[in-house]
Amino acid sequence: MKNKIGTIIFAFVLTFVFLVCLIKPPADISVSERRPLAQMPDISIESVLGGKAASGFEKYATDQFPLRDTLRKIKATFGMNILGKKDNNKLFTAEGHISKIDDDMSDYMIDYVATLFKRITEKYMKDKSGKVYFSVVPDKNIILADKNGYPSMDYEAFFEKIREKTEFVEYIDITGFLSLNDYYRTDTHWRQEKIVDVAQYLAERMGAEIEGEYWENTVNKPFYGVYYGQIALPFEADDMVYLTNDTINSFIVTYYGSGKGEEGEVYNKKKLEGNDMYEMFLSGSEPLITIENPNAQNEGELVIFRDSFASSIAPLLAQGYKKTTLVDIRYMQSDLVGEYVDFENCDVLFLYSTAVLNTSTSMK
Amino acid sequence: MLFSSIPFLYYFLPLFLICYFAVPKKFKNAVILAFSLFFYAWGEPKYVFLMIATIVVNYILGLLIEKCQGTGKDKLFVILSLVFSLGALGCFKYADFFIENFSLVTGLPVKVLNIALPIGISFYTFQILSYTIDVYRNDVRAQRSIVALGAYVTLFPQLIAGPIVRYSDVEKELRERHHGFDMAYAGIRRFITGLSKKVIIANTLGELCESFHASDEKSVVFYWVFALCYSLQIYFDFSGYSDMAIGLGKILGFNFMENFNYPFISKSITEFWRRWHISLGSWFRDYVYIPMGGNRVGKTRLFINIFTIWMLTGLWHGAEWNFVIWGLYFGVLLVLEKFIYGNLLTKAKGFNHIYVVFLVAVSFVIFSAGSFSEAMSLVGGMFGFNNVSLLSADTVYYMKSYALVMIFAVLASTPVLKNIYGYLQKGRLKKVTDIFEVPVLLALLLIVTAYLADGSFNPFLYFRF
Repeated sequence: MKNKIGTIIFAFVLTFVFLVCLIKPPADISVSERRPLAQMPDISIESVLGGKAASGFEKYATDQFPLRDTLRKIKATFGMNILGKKDNNKLFTAEGHISKIDDDMSDYMIDYVATLFKRITEKYMKDKSGKVYFSVVPDKNIILADKNGYPSMDYEAFFEKIREKTEFVEYIDITGFLSLNDYYRTDTHWRQEKIVDVAQYLAERMGAEIEGEYWENTVNKPFYGVYYGQIALPFEADDMVYLTNDTINSFIVTYYGSGKGEEGEVYNKKKLEGNDMYEMFLSGSEPLITIENPNAQNEGELVIFRDSFASSIAPLLAQGYKKTTLVDIRYMQSDLVGEYVDFENCDVLFLYSTAVLNTSTSMK
Repeated sequence: MLFSSIPFLYYFLPLFLICYFAVPKKFKNAVILAFSLFFYAWGEPKYVFLMIATIVVNYILGLLIEKCQGTGKDKLFVILSLVFSLGALGCFKYADFFIENFSLVTGLPVKVLNIALPIGISFYTFQILSYTIDVYRNDVRAQRSIVALGAYVTLFPQLIAGPIVRYSDVEKELRERHHGFDMAYAGIRRFITGLSKKVIIANTLGELCESFHASDEKSVVFYWVFALCYSLQIYFDFSGYSDMAIGLGKILGFNFMENFNYPFISKSITEFWRRWHISLGSWFRDYVYIPMGGNRVGKTRLFINIFTIWMLTGLWHGAEWNFVIWGLYFGVLLVLEKFIYGNLLTKAKGFNHIYVVFLVAVSFVIFSAGSFSEAMSLVGGMFGFNNVSLLSADTVYYMKSYALVMIFAVLASTPVLKNIYGYLQKGRLKKVTDIFEVPVLLALLLIVTAYLADGSFNPFLYFRF
């Protein structure tokens, strides 16, 4: 009897799931993982013979599997709570935070980045009166990983090496200003309301003055950061706060992502409805943005070569300059920047996180 | 296509089973053949033509061998079968290896061919040879139906990772096989057990092995953890695949031979090879070793026979020197056990288990390497020659993170769990275990599906076989 019942149950399960797979409409994106999901590949003689149809279908079938988010949670829970694994897909939880193991320092990337920064400096700032600064935003693992027994990159060696390779710029060390609470618990980024002191210090070192008084505005929606979706475990959401004052409110922000300048907001509330609420800060991934400050007390200009960490600190820094330009060379060639940015009488700040410096070959 | 994938489990398998059980008996082999060719063509369609050519050529040669039995021509045809099948294997698997070594020895700049290895070629070549050789030996009759022979060669459950099923073992079942709930359920249970071994245990241990390779902070202990975990990974992966093959075979009414029998409980390397990849060992024994004279030869010839077999066993696993070294390593150990300390080993209770695990772990480190130099570097690391510390922070982390999986894997590599379940099945708890068996299997299938849907680490280890 057991054999009969068992066989019927499994035959039913396989057939039922097969039919659900066939009739389930494909989803476009995975909200929790913040990525587009694979779609049914084009079937042609070439794609079949070349194996692309098969590999494409494998990705499609896996990505579009019914209840995939629930299954990912089951996998994470089983792996960490039953098998006792200390991380799930390299993500771990400690001290109320989710973080990602980043144990490999890439000498290649440090050389790559240093060479790129040197080329940019020589191309745009040679014989110019402005100064060039460099600051690195440490990953929260610098505080979290080693202390909690997780493998971690040798940050001391990383900072030493990157400073040694970028002696052509003035380095500003902000590590001492950051504590674990300055980062979102479910995300990789820092919290804008907690980095006012970092902004003050950076501005001071670059010879600018910025206001220290802000209104704290809390977003009326829980913030689930990038790590939340990746770890696939239940975790309390972050709250998201952004800072305003009269100066920030008067900013004229222009986005050049479409090729021509379009005016926009410092804090783009539409992004709160998207996959990544952090993109509210200066609209997320943008190749070129200018922030003009009508209330500026001086004529100073600042160009920031940056990654996403700068999106939340730039509005604070921009108070000290008449014009601040943000350039993301992951989305535009550094050789083209000169066509849009005048480097006369301006300072330059390279502001990058350790993760991007250590892994992103997309900077060109 | 991999068994441990969503397309296989939830698209291919249900569709195949619906078609297979829907058609009358006389069409079942045709369904197997059609689906198996699709299964094989998945991802690498061009080599399906090589497989079809192998089937057609050996089908004709099988008939000719039988027809010419006793005339002397049968020998010619079986040699033709050997030349064709081994020629294809040699060309696709070993050509570049021989060219590279020829260039190295002679200094002549011969270009490598860069031929991609057809998946499973070593398995199906050995299967088809067992057919033509057995027909030549008059052990079986030539198969009249090309569909039945095609179904045997392409049979997808064991096509890409074994076990090597001999024609003589399934000859009757190709003609007439029994289908029923008992066989089907036994097959389902075996398949899900194998799938769980592969996805939950082997792949998790594989993650640790990957972390070892990626780590900048290796240590002597980490090398040994890697050696142990890689040995267990390959055991659970390979035996998991065999379980899945045997299980699927049962669902279809076939009884394939067992391929693994708890090899890590062996008390000698000789015993280990009686328990590890049994279908390959017995194939070499029956089709190469015994025809070479086996044990019934002089001592010098015996050594030649043993080392030839083990060199071939190594080469069968991959066309690299580390596989040759791996095979010969076992050849040396078997000779030592046979002629020097075999009896002593039997008496050294406890020690003999440590001896086997130690030597097998070292062997799989050699096996895991991509080249001879990497193999030497890894073995060197185990014995402290790579200038690494005894222990590192990475080692401690990964040992802690994978401790439970490692303990469970060690336990499951022995018959302890099977014996406990067997005991419960015989006792008063049989009813309880019967009630829980299906839910447990369903839970395992759910967990496996969760791992696969997550896109977790899921390597295919037999791409060099």
